[in-house]
Amino acid sequence: MSPVAAVGVWAAAQLIPSPLLVMSKQHVGGGMRWQLTPLLYSFGIAERPVRTFLVSPIVRHSGSVELHVSPEWACCVTGEQSSWLVRAGVRLYLPLLEHGEKLSWSLGGSYYRAAGGGGAAADLGIFTFAGALGLNLTVSPWLTRREVILALTIRLF
Amino acid sequence: MRLDASIAFVMSVSLAGCGFAWRGLKRNLSAPPERAVAHKLADPRRPEARLAALWVGHATVLLQLDDRFVLTDPIFSHELLQTSPRLVEPGLDPERVPPLAAVVISHMHIDHLSFSSLDLIEQRTPIVLVPPGVRANMPRYEFEIRELETWSSYERDGLRITAVPVQHIGGRYALDAAFEPRAFTGFVFEYHGLSVYFGGDTAYLPSAFKATAARFPDLSLALLPICPDEPRDFMQYTHVSPNQALDAFQLLGARQMIPIHYDTFINSDDAPGACPKELRARMQARGLSSDRVPILAIGEQRVLIGR
Repeated sequence: MSPVAAVGVWAAAQLIPSPLLVMSKQHVGGGMRWQLTPLLYSFGIAERPVRTFLVSPIVRHSGSVELHVSPEWACCVTGEQSSWLVRAGVRLYLPLLEHGEKLSWSLGGSYYRAAGGGGAAADLGIFTFAGALGLNLTVSPWLTRREVILALTIRLF
Repeated sequence: MRLDASIAFVMSVSLAGCGFAWRGLKRNLSAPPERAVAHKLADPRRPEARLAALWVGHATVLLQLDDRFVLTDPIFSHELLQTSPRLVEPGLDPERVPPLAAVVISHMHIDHLSFSSLDLIEQRTPIVLVPPGVRANMPRYEFEIRELETWSSYERDGLRITAVPVQHIGGRYALDAAFEPRAFTGFVFEYHGLSVYFGGDTAYLPSAFKATAARFPDLSLALLPICPDEPRDFMQYTHVSPNQALDAFQLLGARQMIPIHYDTFINSDDAPGACPKELRARMQARGLSSDRVPILAIGEQRVLIGR
């Protein structure tokens, strides 16, 4: 396959959204999140520990630290803030079973920027099926109407 | 016109692939419990053998070449990435694997490269040989992981292992084949005048088999996959049929062939038993005896050349 086709496959994979359940005390809504990995250091992989953008599941889930950028859109959240925001943060992945390919977990911290301002958030995740499926809980205490977000993470690379 | 043909090809392969994947999922969900292997060997070392092969299942074969042991594509796991349960238990317990001179891995697909299986034999081999592009997609282990380009060799204490060309598809999870397009290989093992071909997974590519035969004109044994066969429209690009495996065997010019890569996991439309049944029919039509192409049961060891 040509390099152009490979980039196309990667780009298409990045466009797959992860559905969100957006929660606050008064509201429950939905949304979508995308993720990019500009930089990752894997301490579980045998070779080339530093990766940019293209990260195979075993590289991430065998143990790594990644810098991620996550555009996010929430629907059904009415109020002053825009439905769009972007997060940038650091996340640690640690393997649990079969070098993380069967089961891994993550812990992260991020800074978000929305129309109404910015703030800090923390997240905790668990992943299976070579990291393709996961649950990620993001807590943003100062982000009105979307303080808690549960994401069904769908991610190939 | 050329573009139209390309699009038609991609669409037909994609549609066939989607249908195959859906049928495979349904068959895996209704798979029977894992069958036990009777009379598993406690000690696979055969002092009376110059060349012996033990089929552990799928593409996993323990080869004895005189006093050296090598293991191909070790899979001891009871499932493949939580999707495909094993039909028959491994024909050799991993703790019974003797000290190995080397392990080879033909490619990264989940039915050929199992990280948990490598954990089980981590202390038993000094080296694992892989095709280009695989090392950067493997976890850290205590053994050395060395990539071999086609026709390049690893040699130690008289045992030489050479990467030889095959036709398959790279990657591990289907879509990532785009990123590691060359990550597949076959191998030839040579030791004390013995030589064994291991095809891993391969489509029918006569030029590759002829080129290997030209470089290794006296192959004692060929380990060749015979399955998955169906759906052939989809499989023809990546896997030989039983009949093509016999063609490959004859092009390689090996003295004997052991069929592998069937009836261990569900990864095709083939019913269990269909591939060896087809192989037997094709052997009969060609006048090939079971001495030349012994069909082993999982867990069965065959002494091919005695002392």
